[in-house]
Amino acid sequence: MNLNINAIKDMTYDAIVIGSGVSGGWAAKELTEKGLRVLMLERGRSLEHVTGYEEAMKAPWEAQPIARLGELAPKYPQAPQESTLPKSAPSYWMPGMDTSYRQDKPFRWLRPGIVGGKSIMWGRQSYRFSDIDFEANAREGIGVDWPIRYKDIAPWYLYVEKIAGVSGEKLGLPQLPDSEFLPPMDMYLVEKEVRKRIEKAFPGRIMTIGRTANLSEAQKVHLDNGRTACQYRNQCIRGCPYGGYFSTQSTTLPPAMRTGRLTLRPDSVVTEIIYDAQKQRASGVRVVDSVTLENRDYFAKVIFVCASAMASTALLMNSVSDRFPNGMGNDSGQLGHNLMDHHFRLGASGQWKGGQDRYYFGRRANGIYIPRYRNIGADKRDYLRGFGYQGGGGRQGWQRHVAELSFGTSLKEELTKPGLWTMGLIGFGEQLPDYRNRLYLDKTKLDKWGMPTVAFDSEFRENEKKMRVDMQNDAQEMLEAAGLINVKAYDQGSAPGMAVHEMGTARMGRDPKTSVLNGHNQIHAVKNVFVTDGASMTSSACVNPSLTYMALSARAADFAVQELKARRL
Amino acid sequence: MKFIQASNGPFIARREALQWLAMLVGGTLSLPVQAALRGETSNQTSFHLSAEQQALIADLADVIIPTTDTPGAKAAGADQFIEYVIRNCSDVKQQDLFRQGLQQTNVLSQNAFGKPFPELSSQQRNEIVGQLTQREKPFFMSLRELTIVGYFTSETGVTKALDYLPIPGRFQGDVPFKAGKKVWAI
Repeated sequence: MNLNINAIKDMTYDAIVIGSGVSGGWAAKELTEKGLRVLMLERGRSLEHVTGYEEAMKAPWEAQPIARLGELAPKYPQAPQESTLPKSAPSYWMPGMDTSYRQDKPFRWLRPGIVGGKSIMWGRQSYRFSDIDFEANAREGIGVDWPIRYKDIAPWYLYVEKIAGVSGEKLGLPQLPDSEFLPPMDMYLVEKEVRKRIEKAFPGRIMTIGRTANLSEAQKVHLDNGRTACQYRNQCIRGCPYGGYFSTQSTTLPPAMRTGRLTLRPDSVVTEIIYDAQKQRASGVRVVDSVTLENRDYFAKVIFVCASAMASTALLMNSVSDRFPNGMGNDSGQLGHNLMDHHFRLGASGQWKGGQDRYYFGRRANGIYIPRYRNIGADKRDYLRGFGYQGGGGRQGWQRHVAELSFGTSLKEELTKPGLWTMGLIGFGEQLPDYRNRLYLDKTKLDKWGMPTVAFDSEFRENEKKMRVDMQNDAQEMLEAAGLINVKAYDQGSAPGMAVHEMGTARMGRDPKTSVLNGHNQIHAVKNVFVTDGASMTSSACVNPSLTYMALSARAADFAVQELKARRL
Repeated sequence: MKFIQASNGPFIARREALQWLAMLVGGTLSLPVQAALRGETSNQTSFHLSAEQQALIADLADVIIPTTDTPGAKAAGADQFIEYVIRNCSDVKQQDLFRQGLQQTNVLSQNAFGKPFPELSSQQRNEIVGQLTQREKPFFMSLRELTIVGYFTSETGVTKALDYLPIPGRFQGDVPFKAGKKVWAI
């Protein structure tokens, strides 16, 4: 490529942010607001806030016939799976053919294909990690110690929560620190009943309303950002025209754009981070335009890698040089290792005969949460760490009779009345970091943009398996103690990736010999590269991790700007 | 997950959605479906219903969900949904089951009343569908399920038979249930 000086100047920014999801959005917002000229690269297509959410206001009957099949679809196996998602706007995901990866062991890698990444389709459950989580590795001699503690991240949780907006109930629990909450959402009658009975039967087990990044009440900071309160439509996953929940588009992109210092480039697959051996810094990135397949290099003083946990690590691994033959920043040999996800898909459900004269109003975009209680305080189990439950109540609608033989007027009348109240619990358990759980690159098979195939070799092991026994039994025990009927426990099996909480593979740590990143999400050996998404996690806790990525990203951006000003990057 | 209701919260919907996507990217799909995902036509079966068969589906669906003080399955166009699913989403075995079921419906009608199903009175139609529940159970179960889904997700079903509120604006988990209140559509 022949470039004149001006062209290189045109392609040079203060900072490059790779990825526009939860982490990339925060990085771009913080860096631009602190005065940097930022290029944000997103491999997916453009998705405009509000006008881009084409499915958002569609009525149920406007969906394709097959989309209306919903959970019956398994019985109709030739249904195009991609469009059997009544609420999930299939066009937001990367087409299946473009995402081939290899499973040495079962793994599910779900990748978005839009600006905003998974921040558009995420579940919005938002929980702080606690010191019980940050200290666990050191206490138990598992993996490496987190280089940070709760006090290091707490101010950043607070900072991102105020802007993102997290609704929930204060509990004062050491294992689940309270956020700066918007008002909690209401619970269904059945949830209130079950909560009371569980707390009576099992002191220490608490059921609370889910902590969700939906605006139960829009405050000035949200209104000023063009957002309004949640409308209780429960169509979040299609994109919210009201800005009722946190996404890149609703929350972090607008202020970044308002600075006039952000350049957003969609359709840009970053294939490599370029290393400058003389300066011992990254000098820029190599990009393939996903549409034209044209190659381009961009340069910057600071690079934030926020491509999603697995993709960020794959990118580092693909960034080889004489100095880093095994992937950028991989002096420790830990890059790609210690892959974690949460294990789930088990629990129990039941029905409640009471409350027949009560009903509900609106569609709550949230469930309930039972914070971890195992291996807390005096409780000691035959496994390490713990789990929490998500779930929720409701009252049966017309879907309930599909397996019976009746027909005619009586069937129709029956189905237009509500059935019993129902309640379900789903356990989400922590996975221990384990060197054997890893991803690696198969460079013999390249995709159409020249990126190697990502191969997954990861599984849930003994500790997780032992934990799952409790996860299923406790759920059943609690619902039975709560007086529900037809309580059924289930375990549908869980493979890494299914919870879409992929973490680790470029872990933070105190020692460059055993970790990839330091306590500021900065690559030990390449000081101007920061990885602030799930890849950086040293352990997984059992709570949904996105809020922690937000806090880590904002914190690392603040640190990077300080370092830049001090001319240390 | 059987217990999951539409009202159980979005993150569960998300989980369900993500499970679908897991199948999507997991490489376990048949070639025609993969083609469909790429936006190519995957219609490799030559499944076709005659106008009479289509009308018969509509009549049968209308017995399963008849017109009462609200329109029934036929008026709601549930047969179009059923036909779509059988043609586009079902394997040859299921399609054969359906074709045979339709044929048997007329055979049973002839045997009982000497007339094909479309010419029967509404009482006679009820009787024949009653026979289907016993003698053609797999066909009936499939038809019934698709009728229910097709009807209660149609504009008519959602807005006339059920209570649909596009923008609730608030959530209350415990309000009085008033007699005659219809179940929420979603």
